[in-house]
Amino acid sequence: MTIQKARPTRRVWLPAVFLGLFGALLAARLVQLQVLQHDTYAAQARSELLGSSTVYARRGAILDRNGGVLAVSVDTWDVYLNTRAWRQPADRARVIEKVAAITRIPKAAIEARLAAADAVEVRIAIDLDYELGLQLIDADLPGVVLLPNTARIHPEGDLAAAVLGFTGVDNTGLAGIEDRYNDLLQGRAGKAVYERDTLGDPIPYGQYIATEPVPGDDLILTIDRYLQRLAEDTLAAAVKEHRASGGTIIVMDPYTGDIYALATLPSVRYSTLEADLEASTEQKSAFKNIAVTDTYEPGSVMKVVTAAAAIDAGVVTPETTYVDNGVVDVEGVRLKNWDDGVYGTQTMTGVLQHSINSGAVFMQQKLGTRLFQSYLEAFGFGKPTGIDLPGEAAGFFRRPEDPGYSPVDVATQSFGQSISVTPIQMMQAIAACINGGNLVTPRVVKGRIRPDGTRIDLQPTIVRRVISPAASDAVRRMLGEVVAQDPDGWGRNPVHYTAGGKSGTANIPVWGTYTDDQQIVSFMGFAPLEQPRLLVLVRLDQNRNLLTGTQAAGPIFARFVDEALRYLGVPPEKGTGSVAR
Amino acid sequence: MAAINHPLGGIGRPLGVPVRGLRINWGLIAALAFLLFAALLPVLQNSFVTSQGFDIQASQRQQARLRAEISLLEADVARLTSQARIERRAQEIGMVRASDPIYVTVQEPGPAPAKLPAEYLPAPEPKPAPAEPWWKSLLSWRPW
Repeated sequence: MTIQKARPTRRVWLPAVFLGLFGALLAARLVQLQVLQHDTYAAQARSELLGSSTVYARRGAILDRNGGVLAVSVDTWDVYLNTRAWRQPADRARVIEKVAAITRIPKAAIEARLAAADAVEVRIAIDLDYELGLQLIDADLPGVVLLPNTARIHPEGDLAAAVLGFTGVDNTGLAGIEDRYNDLLQGRAGKAVYERDTLGDPIPYGQYIATEPVPGDDLILTIDRYLQRLAEDTLAAAVKEHRASGGTIIVMDPYTGDIYALATLPSVRYSTLEADLEASTEQKSAFKNIAVTDTYEPGSVMKVVTAAAAIDAGVVTPETTYVDNGVVDVEGVRLKNWDDGVYGTQTMTGVLQHSINSGAVFMQQKLGTRLFQSYLEAFGFGKPTGIDLPGEAAGFFRRPEDPGYSPVDVATQSFGQSISVTPIQMMQAIAACINGGNLVTPRVVKGRIRPDGTRIDLQPTIVRRVISPAASDAVRRMLGEVVAQDPDGWGRNPVHYTAGGKSGTANIPVWGTYTDDQQIVSFMGFAPLEQPRLLVLVRLDQNRNLLTGTQAAGPIFARFVDEALRYLGVPPEKGTGSVAR
Repeated sequence: MAAINHPLGGIGRPLGVPVRGLRINWGLIAALAFLLFAALLPVLQNSFVTSQGFDIQASQRQQARLRAEISLLEADVARLTSQARIERRAQEIGMVRASDPIYVTVQEPGPAPAKLPAEYLPAPEPKPAPAEPWWKSLLSWRPW
């Protein structure tokens, strides 16, 4: 008997082949998922399981030179509502009512935000007070999520806002010191990683890895908050009195470049920051500090630089005389004195006292174009000073190699026209004229304190020697003569201290020509005369009463210096009845 | 059924099945205990670690809370020492701004300046190394 071997028929092997292929495909897919793409899917699974959040580092404080706090960060909360967490309408109503009661946000406002948002998690408050946030946490409400944040507060209000700048909602500096030193101030954020539940909330006993945030450094400014306040109050009163469109007062130590005060108008204010930001234009920007970002023609203050260069080069002395005819001819262009006056025989000191344009041209011509402009470069014109504030402008003056140059340009540069400078550049140059001849870099930060308490002091920077100490002494005394003279009695001479200085009145060029009804007036002065403690620039823009620099800015300088030196404890040098022994 | 509960006839005593003495196998028990302990150890460890982790998290939360409170207190101090607040308070108690001060020169030294917190002061100069005691010089002294 033969057993007939069963032969596979199509009905058998066809399904077998399909099943085999199916199994092979399944196996291949498994290999793909579990071997080849293992890392990708593992990461995806981890991201489903794990949540992470940034732990903000505390932003460093900003202190004035005496340790007074100008800006400091406090902990706050950002509050979110997770609408998926409420199963019943009653839950929703209860939570919203409780949140409104604690956060003091009107219920209607919360409802409106929830209605307007598409997301499941809706932010209803930024920078909620820390203690209110703790109350919310203790209330243990479903769907209420609090994320830690920090907020910047300014205990002195709007004081020095243009210098300090401000931060954005992500605590990054956007202007001023906050921007320039953002890397130091903001520290290093930490990170929290945790296992989370289906709602995304951290599981209490879940894995929790935290990278500790590193707080930012505290900065110590050169700004003195008392002098800053005095400067801001003085400027505000002056702008009002002279009906000016704005102005600047800068107070600096001429030897170190330390800025004691820097007040500008217009200026950003914390109390109206949001409105200021919305109203920002290129000309009037909340991000600008016009003392470093905007240029102007300095007018006759530039004669100080011309005299310093000429005396240092040895082409004139303070006693050198020349004859002023009221006009000087340069390449066929007649340059007149500011008041159309004729002063006759004058010394170089007299040129500064009477602010004679032809005298400045006389000194410039003695120097020659190349040497005069090399002094301008040495004094720092045409280049940023390097002050530690953002957005500094370089200024400009035309050189012979520049297109459109005319010899008239260099002549007018000697008395402060055809040259654009920033107020801070002018401070730097005049400081070099009176401090023994050193060009110092202006600065607003003098040190920092690291989170471990270590203090790092920054040293003043001397860029170069520009003029000799003897020339500097001579210029300083000439400027003392300018202030002491005060022939018109406008009061540019401080009551209690000896001082030196020079005024400037510059018409504003409009469409290539100068108009008489728009001007910038300024007074650059220092005190005491022999060992200056303060160099002060008072500048008023477009004063509608059209008083000159001596008349408008000079008296402001004198009053400011009397008050500031008294505050600094400098014994008075003059003034009747003020000293008793 | 009663037969079941009674011995068979002729058998007056239970069958003499040899019963060995009941001896405790300590080795076996020790092995079982060890296995049990070994099995429980990871559980205990895990429980301990979880508990410690929870304590650490609680401590971290407390630390964060304390840090936040410190920063709030610092901000309060800053607010209370601000110029505007001091001026307002001074006016409240009847003080007025000095107009024309009189300077008096006296021979006595003035008051010490207000002290700043140590963190705002420059680091102190390092102390010089102490001088060697006098007798150490004798060691190098020679009569010749």
